[in-house]
Amino acid sequence: MRYICTCCGYIYDPKIGDTMNIIVPGVAFAELPEGWVCPLCYASPDNFDPLD
Amino acid sequence: MKPAVSSLYQAVELNQEIPPLLIGERCNPNGSKAFREALLADDWDACLKLALDQEARGAQLLDLCVAYAGRDELADMRQLVKLCAGSCKAPLMLDSTSPETLAAVLPLYPGRAIINSINLEDGGANLDKICTLAKKYGAAVVALTITEAGMALSCAEKVAAAKQIYALAVEKHGLRPADILFDLLTFTVGSGDESMRDAAIQTLDAIKQVKQELPGVGFTLGVSNISFGLRLAARKVLNSVFLHEAVAVGLNSAIVDAAKVLPYAAISEEDRTLCLDLLFNRCPAALMNFIEHFELAVAEDEEQDADALLEEQLRHKVLKGDKDGLEDLLSELRGRWQPLDIINSLLVPSMREVGELFGRGELLLPFVLQSAEVMKQSVVFLEPFLDKLDDDGRTSILLATVAGDVHDIGKNLVDIILSNNGYKVYNIGIKVPAETIISKARELQVDIIGLSGLLVKSALLMKESLSQFQAGGLTQPVLLGGAALTAKFVAQDCVPNYQPPVVYCADAFAGLNAIREFETGKLLSTDWQPATVTASRPGPQQPLLDRSFAPPSVPFLGRRTVTDIDAEQLFDYLNEAALFRGRWGYRRGKLAKEDYAELTAKTVLPLYQRLQKQALAEGWLQPKVTYGYFDCCSSGDLLLVNDGDRQFTFTFPRQPAAPGLCIADYLRTAGEGGDTIGFFVVSIGAELAKRTRQLYESDRYHDYLMLHGLGVELTDALAEYWHEQMRIEMGIQQQSTELLAYITQGYQGSRYGFGYPACPDLAAHQPLFELLTPEEIGVTLTESFEMVPEMTTSAIVVHHPQAKYFAV
Ligand code: B12
Ligand SMILES: [Zn+2]
Repeated sequence: MRYICTCCGYIYDPKIGDTMNIIVPGVAFAELPEGWVCPLCYASPDNFDPLD
Repeated sequence: MKPAVSSLYQAVELNQEIPPLLIGERCNPNGSKAFREALLADDWDACLKLALDQEARGAQLLDLCVAYAGRDELADMRQLVKLCAGSCKAPLMLDSTSPETLAAVLPLYPGRAIINSINLEDGGANLDKICTLAKKYGAAVVALTITEAGMALSCAEKVAAAKQIYALAVEKHGLRPADILFDLLTFTVGSGDESMRDAAIQTLDAIKQVKQELPGVGFTLGVSNISFGLRLAARKVLNSVFLHEAVAVGLNSAIVDAAKVLPYAAISEEDRTLCLDLLFNRCPAALMNFIEHFELAVAEDEEQDADALLEEQLRHKVLKGDKDGLEDLLSELRGRWQPLDIINSLLVPSMREVGELFGRGELLLPFVLQSAEVMKQSVVFLEPFLDKLDDDGRTSILLATVAGDVHDIGKNLVDIILSNNGYKVYNIGIKVPAETIISKARELQVDIIGLSGLLVKSALLMKESLSQFQAGGLTQPVLLGGAALTAKFVAQDCVPNYQPPVVYCADAFAGLNAIREFETGKLLSTDWQPATVTASRPGPQQPLLDRSFAPPSVPFLGRRTVTDIDAEQLFDYLNEAALFRGRWGYRRGKLAKEDYAELTAKTVLPLYQRLQKQALAEGWLQPKVTYGYFDCCSSGDLLLVNDGDRQFTFTFPRQPAAPGLCIADYLRTAGEGGDTIGFFVVSIGAELAKRTRQLYESDRYHDYLMLHGLGVELTDALAEYWHEQMRIEMGIQQQSTELLAYITQGYQGSRYGFGYPACPDLAAHQPLFELLTPEEIGVTLTESFEMVPEMTTSAIVVHHPQAKYFAV
């Protein structure tokens, strides 16, 4: 499931991963490492909303 | 002779063999929506049907109340008393406090009625008139223990009031003790209010004592008040257990919905224990346990309960942020409650519930603000009836935005939440120097001080102010809030500067909690433990930069101003996700995907379209830009910018760990041939902020947050738009792209806002302002390098394809 940052609109898509945080494709949102923040606005994961 | 009342058809003993005598409460426009609608439509048959329905469901007496704002009570009462007298077997309880109305209908009733009610609220004048009528027509009376001092809360007050009434009714007017039914009043044990925890005990003890000291009198009670504020399913059980306990100490009649009383035997042992723990205040967690247990119980649709009690209706209005018919409802409630009690016992607990729902993620911020509006409007309505808002007992808070900072909304939201939870707030504005705060705190003798600020500079100022507060001998706890603060900064830098508690508050509700902790003596300074994991530092990971990248051609060198920007096209650049979910707080939270889509379609988008139309039609937006291109070269972490014969130096931090990025790296050194850099300052002007402030001043909290949020995102949209214009001018982009590309930086180059993590030093605004002179478009700097008007943003524009956002 994709998640959207409520602060800036960035979408975390597990199919794509997140190169800015060196997250390879296939990592579910819930499995992102502790300390992970939005690559664009640095908001913490509790600022994200489920998208799908 | 056994005390009894009667209708045309039968006599009903007040002391039933199996107590209590059940008095139907639904023929009341304030308690029953169905009855109200029938009454307002002059549909007398429908009114009568409701009376007969109650009989069918077990009511042995029928309360009849027709007092409703805008109706002629006397005429309505006359009509219905005649009708019920002929059709209802159950005797009537004539529910009116108007001697005129009672004088008109008592002679019409062909039996022995009960008058509901007398009290000592006005010192006894009304009581004298009504007792005279009762004596004349042989009626019984319900007596409420309300005196000039208000509703009797404690056992002692209840007993004292009852004795006072007894002396007048029996000794002065010659009524028999058995003609009086005392309603000793009960209040909810469901609000969590510390002082009300023993509300049930006070009432039960008072019944016992009055029964003993005034032999022969009867009792009645609005039983369901005990559970006000709790869920419907839970209320039914608690009301039934409370009724059982009250009967055990002597209650002989009760005003209830007969259909909603559960037989005691039908209540499980576990449910009983939870209820008894709560009623008798047997353990501190009783309320929590009770709520948790019944939270799981059958979910009844509470909204469907059209005939909810008056008090319940008010709670619903607060929870739903619904102002429709609010004043009528409050007028009616004034017949039962003192204005101050409506605030403290009904509205404040409801707002507390709103806060809890928000805390659990079950209520979104926009709805919280609508609830606060209901609260505010209620208080405004009730204020004229209050002698004066009694400030002595209330905890008071001084709120200010610190010097050099014009940021208003964070502080104002805190004001809204605190004042609408019953606290006294002195909001002394923005840009307030520490000296003023100290003198105001002394002068107003506030209990707590709250400081707010937007930028890092304001956070540093808070730290310094605390030393001044300490030296100035202040003793109040200080709450700190604002975007640039962290718990760590507060704990490490602020707490040591001041003796009393210094507390970091992430939002207004954290502030509310802190005040409650203060009231219970539990407020402690913020404590910070280093987290086990540090936050990641996202950014492009390639360490190798293409140094050969030639600077783009620019149309001019130096600065220019643009003021003819079409405001409408800004909406094409607006980040809707950030606006709806972030600024406005319409988050999906626990909603299902479909429900969120519905919320978006039915509430959020229409609101957005309405504001967009209004903003454009009424000229709220005055987008203005000042920008420029300059020759530059980098040197290590520095960027040297040339403007004619002036040179300015900008310093950028470097990531301490790999890949060790620094903004200066994206620009060529002098040796590499130098480079070109862009800057801009954009503003949507001050008009929208003016409108925003007006909304706040007229207590339209919801619209206030919405318009502020829109302004914020339009400012960012303007920055996005102008950044694109600059890319087009530099020839690194041909035309506008799709919206998502803006969010994800799907374009060449990057714009970095000063003060953001890749270039955190806001002091860079000083050289920036010398380069661009934004004063010409009406933008100035405060001593904290904040730009005024607030809806302004600045950036350094870098063209290098590898330049992306990163955090240092
Ligand atoms: C929206 C926003 C903007 C908007 C509007 C600004 C405004 N508010 O008018 C725009 C786009 C214009 C903007 C511009 C800028 N911004 Co800006 N902006 C934000 C953002 C995202 C939200 C601020 C906001 O309005 N929040 C809404 C209000 C209601 O929240 P609040 O004030 O924080 O108040 C709540 C709590 O903090 C708390 N609270 C606040 N005070 C108090 C007091 C007490 C007693 C209590 C109990 C609680 C409490 O309760 C409030 C309600 O729950 C923040 C980051 C963030 N997530 O907070 C950055 C942020 C404030 N901005 C930042 C920066 C750098 C800027 C700019 C300098 C960027 C630039 N170069 O242009 C400019 C400066 C603008 C100016 N006029 O000078 C930085 C500041 C850091 C710093 N170095 O100082 C922040 C912190 C982002 C970041 N993480 O780096 N910004
Ligand atoms: Zn984000």
